[in-house]
This record gives sequence, structure tokens and C-alpha cells, in this order.
Amino acid sequence: MGRFSGFLVTARQMFKPRLTTEYPEQVREYPARRHGRHVLNRYEDGMEKCIGCELCAGICPARCIYVRGADNPPDDPVSPGERYGFVYEINYLRCIHCDLCVEACPTEAITETKLFEFSWNNRNDSIYTKDQLLVDDDGHPRKQPWEAWAPGQDENLSEWVRATSPSGMAEYEGRVSWSGDLGHGVRDPGPTQAELDGREEID
Amino acid sequence: MTTGQAQTDTELVTLTIDGREVQARKGELLIKVAQENGVYIPRFCWHERMEPVGMCRMCLVQVDGMRGFPPACTTPVAEGMVAHTDTEPVKKIQDGVLEFLLINHPLDCPVCDRGGECPLQDQTLAFGPGESRFTEEKRHFEKPIPLSGLVLLDRERCIQCGRCTRFAEEIAGDPLIDFGERSDRMQVVTFPDEPFSSYFSGNTVQICPVGALLSKPYRFKARPWDLSTSETTCTTCAVGCRGALQSSSNRLLRLLGVDLDAVNQGWLCDKGRYGYEWVHADERVLEPSVRVRNAMVDVSWPEALEAVANELQRAIELHGPSSVAVLGGARGSNEDAYAWVRLAKGVIGTDNVDAQLGDGLPADAVLGLPRAEIDDLDQAAAIVLLGPDLKEELPVLYLRVKQAAVSKKVPLLDLAPVDVGLTPYATAVSRTVPGEEGVAAERLVAAIGGRASGDAGIDAFAAAATGRSGPVVVVLGRGSVAQSAAPTMRAAAAFAALPNVRFLSALRRGNVHGALDLGLAPGFLPGRVTLDAGRGWFAPIWQTVPKERGLDAEGILRAAADGKVRVLVLLGADPVADFPDTDLARRAIDGAGYVVAVDAFLSESTRRADAFLPCTVWGEKAGTTTNLEGRVQRLGRKVSPEGTTMDDWRIAGELAVRLGNDFDLEFVDEVTDEIATVAPAHAGARSQLLRRSRDGVVLPVREHLHEIMVRTGDLNIMAEDGPAVSWDPIRVDAAEPSEEGDAAHEVDEARGEAERLEREAPAHHEWDRAANVGDAPGRDAYALRLVSGRELYDGGRITTCSPSLAPLRKDSALMVHPQDLARIGVEEGTQVRVTSSRATVTLPVRTHPSVPAGTARLPFTADGRGASELIDTTTMVTDLRVETIS
Repeated sequence: MGRFSGFLVTARQMFKPRLTTEYPEQVREYPARRHGRHVLNRYEDGMEKCIGCELCAGICPARCIYVRGADNPPDDPVSPGERYGFVYEINYLRCIHCDLCVEACPTEAITETKLFEFSWNNRNDSIYTKDQLLVDDDGHPRKQPWEAWAPGQDENLSEWVRATSPSGMAEYEGRVSWSGDLGHGVRDPGPTQAELDGREEID
Repeated sequence: MTTGQAQTDTELVTLTIDGREVQARKGELLIKVAQENGVYIPRFCWHERMEPVGMCRMCLVQVDGMRGFPPACTTPVAEGMVAHTDTEPVKKIQDGVLEFLLINHPLDCPVCDRGGECPLQDQTLAFGPGESRFTEEKRHFEKPIPLSGLVLLDRERCIQCGRCTRFAEEIAGDPLIDFGERSDRMQVVTFPDEPFSSYFSGNTVQICPVGALLSKPYRFKARPWDLSTSETTCTTCAVGCRGALQSSSNRLLRLLGVDLDAVNQGWLCDKGRYGYEWVHADERVLEPSVRVRNAMVDVSWPEALEAVANELQRAIELHGPSSVAVLGGARGSNEDAYAWVRLAKGVIGTDNVDAQLGDGLPADAVLGLPRAEIDDLDQAAAIVLLGPDLKEELPVLYLRVKQAAVSKKVPLLDLAPVDVGLTPYATAVSRTVPGEEGVAAERLVAAIGGRASGDAGIDAFAAAATGRSGPVVVVLGRGSVAQSAAPTMRAAAAFAALPNVRFLSALRRGNVHGALDLGLAPGFLPGRVTLDAGRGWFAPIWQTVPKERGLDAEGILRAAADGKVRVLVLLGADPVADFPDTDLARRAIDGAGYVVAVDAFLSESTRRADAFLPCTVWGEKAGTTTNLEGRVQRLGRKVSPEGTTMDDWRIAGELAVRLGNDFDLEFVDEVTDEIATVAPAHAGARSQLLRRSRDGVVLPVREHLHEIMVRTGDLNIMAEDGPAVSWDPIRVDAAEPSEEGDAAHEVDEARGEAERLEREAPAHHEWDRAANVGDAPGRDAYALRLVSGRELYDGGRITTCSPSLAPLRKDSALMVHPQDLARIGVEEGTQVRVTSSRATVTLPVRTHPSVPAGTARLPFTADGRGASELIDTTTMVTDLRVETIS
């Protein structure tokens, strides 16, 4: 074959299905448990779930979360209980989307969306404040001008929490033990890991 | 040591704990012996500094030959004892106790201020069951309810260990909280209409093993893992309590008491504990300013320093060095005091310098009387209290005197002019007419000498003290700022004749002893030497030394009022508020040619300044401080100062450069080291030695080098492995210097330095007993003699600029004996006209059982109309006429 032997690989690939997508025109569907930018959830009555306990900030390996709590105003409480998240900031120049904050959160207040397409030309914009992180009155993330949301990415916000289970015990998988979300009610459990893998449940 | 160990003797016993043979002093408690030998027995109610009660049942252990499971906290060790702490039955008990405690515990750890450093969390994790079988509804209470202005109670979280109630009764002597109700409704309660208004309430929060008692100022401010910690010394008063200062995001958030056995034994007063708030007060002045055409204008530091230096230069050239005066310096560090003394005495050449503001005792006596240490109280033959109310002015010293009197059964004689906090614990009380303290002192000397004194109380006290070994400790201070120091000095002269007598100064300002030791007083030079004795030593070191003895605070103010002071430097001093005679202070500030304020706040005095140089304050600066026993300890720098504030010592250095004398001191440690090289009493107290020595160094260094314990660890406040211990005594591990090679070298070096200065430098000043004679003038039958002292929450900066403390200030009223009120013929609380030789003011009058007949008590508040308007400093005492307003 001589000098044409190198083209053999090309010729073989030419007729196979293409793996490359034309990003950003085409956006692939992300896995249900993808780790993207965070949201702060609210209860169905509109109260914030965050109680300002700082466990997320304490566990964060990148030290990107800054939280300060304060006394709930008795006549107009922000969250149920004594304390609420008075300051909540995440620096996305530092965040590594490990989701340890989501695991640490005792009230499922912080979860992650699938969004990772955001960029700034200003360091201040990289620090998301509580106003930006908190879901809106319909329970949807607030879209920032520099974020590119593909359709549906703002819907399924806490799949990852619901797929796993409290205290990490396998027998709780699929059992509803979380509170309802504003605009969405009590969400269904996500598919189990076995279902995602397309294999039989192993006992 | 704890009261529980009072009975222990030195006999050693051998016992076995978990198979290991250990030795311990007979009678020590098993729980403590185990801990010292590396076996941690879980506990909630037991605290090393309090009597054991065995309430929580967490420390049950197995002891061979004993029936059942004795609590380790009430079981003294004995010869041959075999104890087990980790057998199956013991583990089952621990599981059961914790599961039982958690039945009623709300587990709201995420919103609990204790969460993260919680003994219940930690011990449940280490010793408890993995899960609870309790599925019923837990008990509910309203949360949280205030016990006082500073302490909140969350009743749901309480595990009824009784640490707080026992502290309040045993340690603080304020039994204002107790348990009410029974079983799961059992809760800590205050008496109706009486809040938990103890000056020591914050300690209950620190020792609470759960989040039941909470600090209001710290509530929800941070979580434990946010905090970074520095060891420091509290400078709110002169006791010098050790503390762990914590901050987050450059804000001071908490001060915890560190257990320094020789001083505070873990306790803090609430003013010290919560007084950090003033550091961040909005009223802080953060930029230098100078007066330009009657208005203060912000300028740069070089401009401000240049302006002040020019004024100083001009005053020196035109009117001589003694036209410059420096007032204050008792609020800063030792380094601040030294640098300012060097500037005033060594560069400018004026001796018109005083750290006290006419409300203390002559430096002569404070520096020259034989000194006691606080620890001497416990071993004293007797304690005599002649001074202010320690509970109000030096609260933790009050705890130590109370402990000596109550737990160690040391006879205590109360010679204060009115009833004070310690009066209930006194063996004998003798009330003399204020101004005639000398007579009482002479009676005491007679009684101790075996002669009848004519005063039954003093005779009883002398009888109780007879036959006891140890020193007689006299706690000496100004019992009343309404009279001059002369009567107190006369009493001191009498006391000085007692055998083995030592004095514990009860001056109150944070670092007043450090300032006096370093020469911020007329007639003295650094290191407790007089001007005359030290001139030859300091002349070659400094540029100059004052020619003759200068004026004290009163003299400076009088000279200023007469227009003889060209430049008056206020070194963190507010004479208008603090000098007993407000009117004189006002006239002095107005009469001084040029007033320089080195301060952090605008006050009535500094508001009139011509130049304002803002300085850093406690928490923002490193350095050392000296407490009332002469213990030099380090200050922790925890937060960065805001604005462009500068350390006081650096301001002095900058001014000196502009006056042509470069101190060549770059870092605060270099100042400490210079003090250790030139000041005779401080000889050897280098920064490195102070850094290594856990308990600081007591002056004079040479006599106390053998006490030095070298730190071998850090504060055990948040142990990496094992439970957090902020609820147990916070300590630093230390060892004898011989066990640490290079530390022994440092001690030797200090000894060498001290011995060199002993040979070469002048001797320390000793007080001349030539008594200040002269009795107080007799008072006429209708006059009431004024007694005036401070209250803990006074009108000072720490109280008024700390939002948590400011509301605790009490209204002041003239307190008289009921008999005198009847004679005046008015009802309780009526406004009366009060006249002294100085002024007439209108005040409400109330009765108080603490005030003897013929005496009137009026708190010396730092602002408003009160004692400072009435007091006449030209006479020895202040007599009042009280009349109805027709």
C-alpha cells in the first residue's frame, strides 16, 4: 500500500457514526446527577431552607463558601427555626463542584443544577451572592446574564441528593425522606444506580 | 487547685487503671488521675475547679471490690485500687446514659452555637450508641429565654448537669440561678424579677457542656471552625486574666478564660469577656487629625507627627522641658509605656509624667512596698482588705480572695469604708470613719501584737490569725476617690510594721502597674528605680534624664489650669471623666497650650485636643502587660487594625526621630528586649523568654526565675484528636526548663542579665515608712462623708462602646443609711440638693444597708453629674450636706 497506508484509518472512521458534537450549537443531554452551579432551595411555602449553619462552608475543600447566620426576625422569619443564612456567597473561581456541601447540608438547602456554562470578565461576578443563588418564586434558578442555560437544565435541581440516601445507607435508596420544594412539591426519587447502569438490582 | 482537693495530702498511692499501674496523691479523684495518665473518662457535670457532685452518671466505672459502678468523679483513689473504664458493663452504662440524655435533647446542632465544639456531640461520638430507639415527640420549650442581659437559656438542650448553678453558688457567690420543676420539666430558673445579673455569668456559658447557656453577644456570630485563636491577657482591669481571644473575618468574636493557676484559674468577669466589642465600635477614631483654625482636619501621619514634634520643640526651646507634661499610659502595653517614658524623660527631659489620674496611690508606695502574689492569698496567715470593692473594680481578684477566705479558711478582715462584695465572707468587719483608716490599721497592729485594740472585730480577727503561718497579705487600694490617698498611706505605714506583711496593690487600670514600673510616674525611671538613684545609670543610655522630680497628675492639671503647661499629652487618658475633680480637669485642658491626644476615641478631654493621633488597642497589638502582682504576660494580636492607627510606642518613636533622637526600635519585640536590658526590675525578661514561659514572668525577674514553666504545647482549646475542651479548663502544657534544652539556656541568660544589672544598675526603690501623718478633719454632725468608688459597668469606654455591656449600667443615686435618710426627712428616691465645698448638685437619694451612718456613697461614674463634681481634691476628705429641695 505504501504511501496510502496512513489513510486506511481515516477511511475506516469515515463511515462510522460521528461522536463529535458542534458545541455550543448542539448541547448534549447531561447525566441526571451532574454537578453544576448551586441553587439555594426554598420550602413549598416560600421559606428558605438554609439555616446558616455553615456546615457547607466547613466541609468545602476549596474554601469557596462564605456563610454567616443571624437570628430570624420573629415577625417575618426567613427560614423555619431560630437561625437563617444571613450571608451566603460562593466563589465560582474556586468551586470544584465536588458536592460535599450538598452532602453536608442538613436541610437540603443547597443543591446543584447541571449548569456549568458561565464565564465572567470581572472577578466580582464570580462570587455569587445569596440573591443570585436563591431560587425564584417559581422554584427556578435565577438566570444570570453571563449564564447559558440549555432547555431543561433548570428543572431537575437535586437529583443527586434524591438518588442517594440519608446517612448513605443502601436500604434507603429510593425512599422519600426529603422536604418539598417551592413550585415543585415533593420530588420523586431519581432512578437508582442500578437502573442508571441498566443492570439488575443486586441484593 | 480545686476546693475538692483541699484535703489531699502528699502521700502517694499506687493503683491500676485499665491494667496500667499508676501513682497518684492519696485522695485525688479517680477521674482526674485517669485523665493525667491518658485515660479519658467521659463526664458532663464534673469540673476540675468545682466540688464533684456525681449528677450526670456519665463517669461510672468499675472498681474491683466495690459494689456497683461508682462515679469516677466522686471516688478518691486509694492504695491498691483496681479500676476499669472500658469493660463491657461500663460501655453499656455509657451507651445507656447517652441514649437517655439524648431522649430529651433536641439535636438542633446545626443551629446551636455549641455545635462543633460540643461535649455532648463529642462524647456521644466517642462513647455513645450509634442510634436512638426513641421515636416519640421530644419535649418542647420556648427557645431561647434570657437569663440576663448577656446569657440566654435554651431549656430544650439542657442536660441538668448543674455546672452553671454550682458555679454561681460555689465560685461566683451569686446564687441567682437554680433548678426548678422535676423530671423532664426540670430547668434552670432565676428568681422572679431578678435576672442572673452576676458579674461572672459568662463563665457558665463557657463551662456548659451543651448549648443550653448561650452568650448573647456571640449568638450566631460564627461557628467554632470559623474561629482562629490567639492567647492573650485581658487588660480590662489590672488582674491580668489569661484568655483565648478568637476572631473570624478580622472581627473579635469571643474571649474564653484560660486556666492560669496563679491568676484567674479559668474564670473571667463579664466585662473582660464581652468587652472586646469596643474594639470595633463605630466611634473609633481611625485617622490622625490636627486643629486648623478651630476645626479638626484629617491629615496624613507625617503631617500630624510633624505638627506635634514642632510644638514639642518650640515648647522645649521657649519654656524648658518641664513645660511638657504627659498624662496617662495605664491603658497601653509595657512597650507603649517604656517608649513614652523614654520620649518624655529621655528625649524631652520632663518629669511631669503620671499614669494615674489622681485616683490611685502614690507610685512611691506601689513600687516600694513589699509585694504579694495573688497565690499568696491561699497560703496567707491572714488577709486584710483596705481598698475599693474588688467585686466592682477587680472582679477576678475578688474570686481569689473569696476562695482563700471560704475554701482555704484564711481569716479576712474587711476595713473598707462601706460594705463591699467580700464583706459577707469576712471573718471580721471594722468600719472606721472614712479618712481615719490609719487608726484602724494601728489598732490591727496592736491587736496582732497581743494588745487589746478597743475594736471587737479587729480583736476577733487577730485571734483568728494568731498561730497561722504564712504572710499577712494586705490588699491595698483607694477605698474611696472622694478622699486623698493620705489616709490610706498612713494605714500602709502602720501595716508595714506587721511581721511578714506583703501588699497586693488594688489599683484598677489595665496596665497601671506596668506603666508605674516603667517610670510613667514623677520621680521614677524604668525598672522601679527612683529618678535620683537611676540618673547615673540612664544618663549614658538615654539622651537626657530630667534634672528634678516633676509633678503628679494633680500637679500637672493645676499647672495646666494656670497656663504653665505648653504641651499636654493625653496618653489614652480622659482626665475630665477620670480625675476626681472634674472642674479642675476641664480648666486644665482649656488652659494647656497645646493638647495632644493619643487615643482611640473622642472623649470630653480629647475632643478639645489640638492634635489627635489614633492608636491601636488591645486585640490589635502585640506586646506585654504587667498585672497587679508584677506578672509580665504577653498580649495577643488577633485582628489587624482598621484605618491607619499606630501602636503608641511607635508614635513615641516617630516623635523622637523628629526631635533628633532615633530609638532604633523597629519591632515590638525589640522594645521588650530593650526594657529587659535597661530596666533593673525587668532585667532578663526578654521577648523570647516571655514567649516560652507559660505563666509569664513575675518582677523582679531575678527572684522569680525558678518559677518559670516552659510551654511544650499550644492551647488545648480545640484538640485535633479527642473532645473539644473549651468547656473544661483550657491550659497549655509546660515543663520545667531543665527538660527543654534551649529554654534552660534562655533562663540562664535571663539570670545572667539580671545579675549583671543587679551589680551595675541602681537598686530597686523601697518605700520609706516615714508615715504620712495627719488625721482627717472632724466632720460636723450634719455632714455626711462621701465615699466614692467605681462600679464594674461604669461610664468608661469599654462599657459604653460595647453594645452588650452598655445597657447593664445602673442609674446612680446617693446611698445613705436609713437613719440618715430619716434625718434628712425625705422619701426613698427623692431628689435632694447635695452640697460639698466644691459644688452643689441635685441627685436622687436612696437607702442602702451597706452604708454606715454618717457616710454617703455615690458611684464614681465616668460621665454625668456625680461624685467627680463634688469631690474637692484640695482637702483630704469630702463632706456633703444633703438638703431637701423645698
